[in-house]
Parts: sequence; structure tokens; C-alpha cells
Amino acid sequence: MTTDPLAALRLPIVPIEPRPEFADALLRRIEARPGPLDRQTATIRYFVADLDASVDFYCRLLDFEEELRPSPVFAMLYRGDLRLLLSVPGGAGAVHTLPDGTVPQPGGWNRMTLQVADLVSTADSLRRHQVVFRHDIEAGVGVRTLLVEDPSGNPVELIEPTSGYHERRNT
Amino acid sequence: MSTVSVRYIVDDVDAAQKFYVRHLGFQLDMQPSPVFAMLSRGDLRLVLVAPVGPDHPGGGSRPMPDGTPQHPGGWNRFMLQVPDVDASAETLRRDGVRFRSDVISGVGTKQVMIEDPSGNPIELFEPLRPEARLQDS
Repeated sequence: MTTDPLAALRLPIVPIEPRPEFADALLRRIEARPGPLDRQTATIRYFVADLDASVDFYCRLLDFEEELRPSPVFAMLYRGDLRLLLSVPGGAGAVHTLPDGTVPQPGGWNRMTLQVADLVSTADSLRRHQVVFRHDIEAGVGVRTLLVEDPSGNPVELIEPTSGYHERRNT
Repeated sequence: MSTVSVRYIVDDVDAAQKFYVRHLGFQLDMQPSPVFAMLSRGDLRLVLVAPVGPDHPGGGSRPMPDGTPQHPGGWNRFMLQVPDVDASAETLRRDGVRFRSDVISGVGTKQVMIEDPSGNPIELFEPLRPEARLQDS
């Protein structure tokens, strides 16, 4: 049996788990292709009936800041990394009206979830301002939650984490 | 790290999480039960929940106190910035994803609205002016 003089220098072959996402990302980088989509900060669009009332609600009661209000049918707000776009549907230009004439409406159940430090005091303050509650404070898994409505009836969920479960590790 | 959290109601959590991972670049962070999954994409955390009964421990998708159930759909949505909305739309169309609208030009963005398997809207946009552009965080 002949011995390979370079054997000691060779790296051991280690079995690795096949990871298609990793392979795809690597291939993309080698071929200098862009990813499927940019990784960016988060934006949400809500449809509202009354822009002034909505901007007031989000800024006064939920700590948003007004960034832009270039027209009576559009405003851009920020809260930390969250950018919230408020659009009044069916107005001039009507960019959001679908080709078949369907006009977007406020409401539904999909919502932003805002973390607050003290859910009880937030709930008290919202109640004092006659905010509509869909449900009062409830216990969930890892969080306590509260579901309120903005002036147009859009849901906004407020949460207070009750355990480390909800905190995502840093990436 | 995700700092913004959005909750979407879906009919089928497994089908939904696969859709977001496969087509929209999300990462699955956890799926500890058949009615709950947590995904992330940059600063956005997306929580997918299926409607549950009033006695379920998970609070996010129980019916309201008056019995009103939660359901997918509506018009409010999160938006994902893409470098070329036409190219993204073409890819998604090829993959059989449902569209609510075709690519349209708004004031600050070119945008298109698609649907997840439960019919929830997702808006993809390409900024047309600096105020509309999101920065990498």
C-alpha cells in the first residue's frame, strides 16, 4: 500500500447538511445576481377614511412621528423602524383603485403589532381617549395583547412581552 | 434584528410560511405549532396565525369577546421594497402567484399587489423618488 505524502496536509472531508437556501445565496453572489428582493426596513400601508384624524391618532396616542403629508390623501409616519403609510382610497388620482373598479377599504384583521412597555397604562390612556377596543387585554403565549381600532376601524395590536420567548435573537 | 412586527391571519400556516420563504425572501424563525409561525425579513417580523377557538392558549387569533372570528383578507398590508418591480412581478407570475393588480405607477413608487395563498395582500414597490426609498438598516 503506497502512502500519500500529502495526506497529512489534506483537510478532512466533513459531511455537511445540504442547504438549498445557502447554495442559492452563494450562487447568487458568485454570479453577482441580485437577491430575489432587497432586505430593507419595514413599511406598512393602511387605508383610512380621514387622514387628519388618523395622523392625529397615531402620533398623539401611539408615538408615531409625522414625516410627510404632501397631499390630503397620503401621509408617511414613522415609529422607530416602522414606516406607516396612510392612504385615503378612491381620491383624486385613485392610484389604489383596482382595474375592475374595486376601491380598497379600511378594516380587516391583518395588523401591525406595536410593543409597549406597560400595556395596562397604555390601555388606560387609550380608553380615556375613547379609542375603540376590539378586545381588552388578554394573555397569549409569551405576550399580553390588546386589540384596538384606529379612527377608520383598522386594527392595531399592542403587546407587552411576558417572557423571553418573544424576543428574537440578534442576527 | 426584527423590530417591526406584523400579524397576518391565514387559513393554512404551513402553506403560508412556505409561500413567504419561497417567493418573498423571508426566513422561518419558528413554527412551534400548526397555527403559528414566526418569520423575518430584515427589520420586519411576520407572524402568521390561523384562527383558533376561544379557549386556545394563543391569543392572537382567537375570536373577539362577541364571537366575531378573525379572517384573512382586507387591504392593509406590509410593503416590500424591490430594485425592479417589473422583474419581481415577472418572476412571481411565472411562479403562479396571484395578482390583485398589475404593475402601476403611483406618485412616489411603482407598485404591484399580490396575494398570499389565503388571499392576504402584499405590496411590492420600487421607489421613484428619494422620499419613497428605504435605506438598509
